[in-house]
Amino acid sequence: MIQHFDPSQHDKAFSKDLGTPPPAADAAPVSVEIDGVAITVPEGTSVLRAAALADINIPKLCATDSLEAFGSCRLCAVQVEGKRGTPAACTTPVAEGMKVTTQNERLARLRRNVMELYISDHPLDCLTCPANGDCELQDMAGAVGLREVRYGFTGENHLEAEKDHSNPYFSFDPSKCIVCSRCVRACEEVQGTFALTIDGRGFDSKVAAGQDEAFMGSECVSCGACVQACPTSTLMEKSVIDSGQPEHSVITTCAYCGVGCSFEAQMKGDKLIRMVPYKGGDANHGHSCVKGRFAFGYATHKDRITTPMIRDAIDQPWRPVDWDEAITFAAKRLRAIQSEHGRESIGGITSSRCTNEETYLVQKLIRAAFGNNNTDTCARVCHSPTGYGLKTTLGESAGTQTFDSVMQADTIIVIGANPTDAHPVFGSLMRKRLRQGASLIVADPRRIDLLKTPHLEDAQHLPLRPGTNVALINALAHVVIAEGLEDQDFIASRCDTEAYRAWRDFIAEERHSPEASEAVTGVAADAVRRAARTYATAGNGAIYYGLGVTEHSQGSTMVMGIANLALATGNIGREGVGVNPLRGQNNVQGSCDMGSFPHELPGYQHVADVTARGRFEAAWGVELDDEPGLRIPNMFDAAIEGSFKALYVQGEDIAQSDPNTQHVEAALSALDCLIVQDIFLNETAKYAHVLLPGSSFLEKDGTFTNAERRINRVRKVMPPLAGKADWEVTVDLARALGYPMEYTHPSEIMDEIATLTPSFAGVSYQKLDERGSLQWPCNAEHPIGTPTMHEVDFPIGRGRFAITEYVATEERSNRRFPLLLTTGRILSQYNVGAQTRRTDNQVWHDEDVLEVHPSDAEVRGIKDGDWLGITSRAGQTVLRARLSERMQPGVVYTTFHHPGSGANVITTDSSDWATNCPEYKVTAVQVEKVSRPSEWQRRFDEVDRAQREHLATAREAAS
Amino acid sequence: MSHDQGQTLVNMVNQIAANLSGGRETADTVEGVCSHLEKFWARAMKQRIVACLDEPDCGLEPLARQAVARLAERRGAPAA
Repeated sequence: MIQHFDPSQHDKAFSKDLGTPPPAADAAPVSVEIDGVAITVPEGTSVLRAAALADINIPKLCATDSLEAFGSCRLCAVQVEGKRGTPAACTTPVAEGMKVTTQNERLARLRRNVMELYISDHPLDCLTCPANGDCELQDMAGAVGLREVRYGFTGENHLEAEKDHSNPYFSFDPSKCIVCSRCVRACEEVQGTFALTIDGRGFDSKVAAGQDEAFMGSECVSCGACVQACPTSTLMEKSVIDSGQPEHSVITTCAYCGVGCSFEAQMKGDKLIRMVPYKGGDANHGHSCVKGRFAFGYATHKDRITTPMIRDAIDQPWRPVDWDEAITFAAKRLRAIQSEHGRESIGGITSSRCTNEETYLVQKLIRAAFGNNNTDTCARVCHSPTGYGLKTTLGESAGTQTFDSVMQADTIIVIGANPTDAHPVFGSLMRKRLRQGASLIVADPRRIDLLKTPHLEDAQHLPLRPGTNVALINALAHVVIAEGLEDQDFIASRCDTEAYRAWRDFIAEERHSPEASEAVTGVAADAVRRAARTYATAGNGAIYYGLGVTEHSQGSTMVMGIANLALATGNIGREGVGVNPLRGQNNVQGSCDMGSFPHELPGYQHVADVTARGRFEAAWGVELDDEPGLRIPNMFDAAIEGSFKALYVQGEDIAQSDPNTQHVEAALSALDCLIVQDIFLNETAKYAHVLLPGSSFLEKDGTFTNAERRINRVRKVMPPLAGKADWEVTVDLARALGYPMEYTHPSEIMDEIATLTPSFAGVSYQKLDERGSLQWPCNAEHPIGTPTMHEVDFPIGRGRFAITEYVATEERSNRRFPLLLTTGRILSQYNVGAQTRRTDNQVWHDEDVLEVHPSDAEVRGIKDGDWLGITSRAGQTVLRARLSERMQPGVVYTTFHHPGSGANVITTDSSDWATNCPEYKVTAVQVEKVSRPSEWQRRFDEVDRAQREHLATAREAAS
Repeated sequence: MSHDQGQTLVNMVNQIAANLSGGRETADTVEGVCSHLEKFWARAMKQRIVACLDEPDCGLEPLARQAVARLAERRGAPAA
């Protein structure tokens, strides 16, 4: 069933453009009279906004409430009693007792004259214009009553200006441009890229990308903020040009990164025309990136799996079957394997891309119907150290702040994260704060784009050697202690004294000084001292980190080191500070919250906790295992050894995303039954016996939880392609296994979660619909959620400093493997690329390359574009070279968005000591010029071809 | 690369012990490693590592061995 426009999901304040942004929320009230209507607004409000709030709608063109007032179009001219002239309402702030007139003959004449000039240089093709029905210029011509254009249309004009269709998602038609600068300002103020400018003066003024080049040739990152800001059809989505204006919209949540942007999915029937970031979205406030706004075409791509399929062995073609047969086949196999090899011989992997409700059901299926705790999720390979490290030190496995908190930060430390590429909308917000003057410290082997923020002064870059994070964080903490920069009051009132003393003695040792660790980290002692002082004395110091922290053999130690530093400087428990993991996938926070880990029930309640387990046993009507189950890498090892025989994988591509691909392939090949539920034939599915069609985020109801613990609603806008949402498939499988689950809607699953998970006790769909979103903990104590954690105390009472001994990774360079490989992401592609590779985002990045420092390249005779063999202890792959000085010599870098690149063929089994999170960020490698693909790649191509043929055969049979 | 599961588990305990030793008393390290295994390891992994105690040259470092021995005791198996 399609859910059509539901007015209750739109807040009126967000659906109307009020012209200028709101002033500070705590500003003093000011009373004014506009057209005789008395209105009280906060000081700093513009006359335009005040009027709009009273539903007095002053004509405007260059003003929009996502951008600062500009005052260029003069259409919003008003008269103010006692003042001369006709000031622009957008740039005039209200003043106490002010009396404003917005409509009279003089103003009407003025506005008509303004519009007349605009229209004299504008094509009159309104009926066939793509913006027809959604054009502010047309609306204003109507509003001011324009009836004639006395100047005629034959004079000099811009009507023949050349169009630019270079961007795959939007067109630029400068003949329709009114030079209001909204696009230029959106690029600067909202996105922070500064790719657009107004070129020329006076009549020659025109919008130009980069150095007056095509959009695709400029530094434009295709976020679409300019398209959204354009009041005419100058910048227009190609999907709207092709299909016309959408007719209804649904508010939902993006399924790409952990920022969790809210979008209006604008529809025509069940066809998605465009995604427009929702102004009322608490995570993104109306901004988005190229993935969320534009890269949704994968949802209807021809590669979508739409029929369940089964086969007895993985070298056989697929047999398309109906849902019943597939589910029965899967259930029979699982039960047969358990009766032969024991209860613990099977397990499952929950998805960090699916909804909370779906993830909850999969782990419930495993614990209750499989009867063991062999459940894990892809957070294992990204943020499991965050869970361990933050729970140990702060008592809760989650970030402490809202995204908006960064706007109060005075010093921002970014460690092992690349927000402008991996969390772009938050990256833009951070850049906004940096332009306002906050200090930036980046600890990263690579010179990330954030360091190139326009108008950024005095950024500090600590280019550490991969694998030496803990030595660096210890050195930073040492400076804080040695120079007496700690926050004694905070430590005394909020932290465990004994743990603090032990940590203080440890960290004060000379071996942790920046001078002593310089040889290890490669970062100059002076730079470390300066960074520590900047952070500790900033006022508000905030730390943001990503997978460059967690994906190491000491990932958990590093997370604890970050928490130590924040505790020692009192940077916890208020706006503007905190410890902030930037989560990778859309619902990786949620999948952890929902009990995906083998040792924890939903809400991070340990399986050995008798009381907690008892609640679940009572609700689920089964006895639950009190021992943790296998983690993903343990499952692989057990599969190879022969004790683990079957796996149910929902929405995760372990064959591409997990390290040491050949080991993973060996493990998957050893399984007697692999059930893969996915929207595409992903790499893992090539080893599957049962392939169950998944549903995209557009095809189901549910919730995602983003990196700031914000629970956002996902709303169905089109029916599932294969007839079932993912949660329905899990319910069917449970029933076939003899464990019926009775749900008719995901809201009922959330109700169950709320009864069993203390931090979710106050969450319901009704409250989510009312409030837009909720940040957990949300319960009796925090009925409307918790934006900032640990304000008064910690869930464990007092903050616990942890000893963080630096233990060098075993994965280090030597004569055989003299370089260190580190891996990362790029803006246009998402994770394993299954979605973005099936969109036009390919034009930005259609292959993974190896970035090599010119000095390393020179000694090896490598030139830009050469084919390079990259060899590690684990394997070999071949990628093209790109010379780059973003890393220091000795470090090479690649992305892992394309399966054939085999980036994970070379990553090794080395993993975090506490959580087994793989050490993706450090692999010792050798690089040399080669002339052909690696052996693994040739084999990959063969398997790929064979499996695609199996799929094609099945499709033919089904049609 | 070696993928003998017993060896993998031995390496894992050694790594845990190495990370929990610096700046701590020996007793704390042994207790820390043991409770880490209790809290995070699956039943089969615990059984397997306990069985390693019977192999004299299984490769467990001294503190790691003590921790596994304590785990064996708590689980009711005879310590080696």
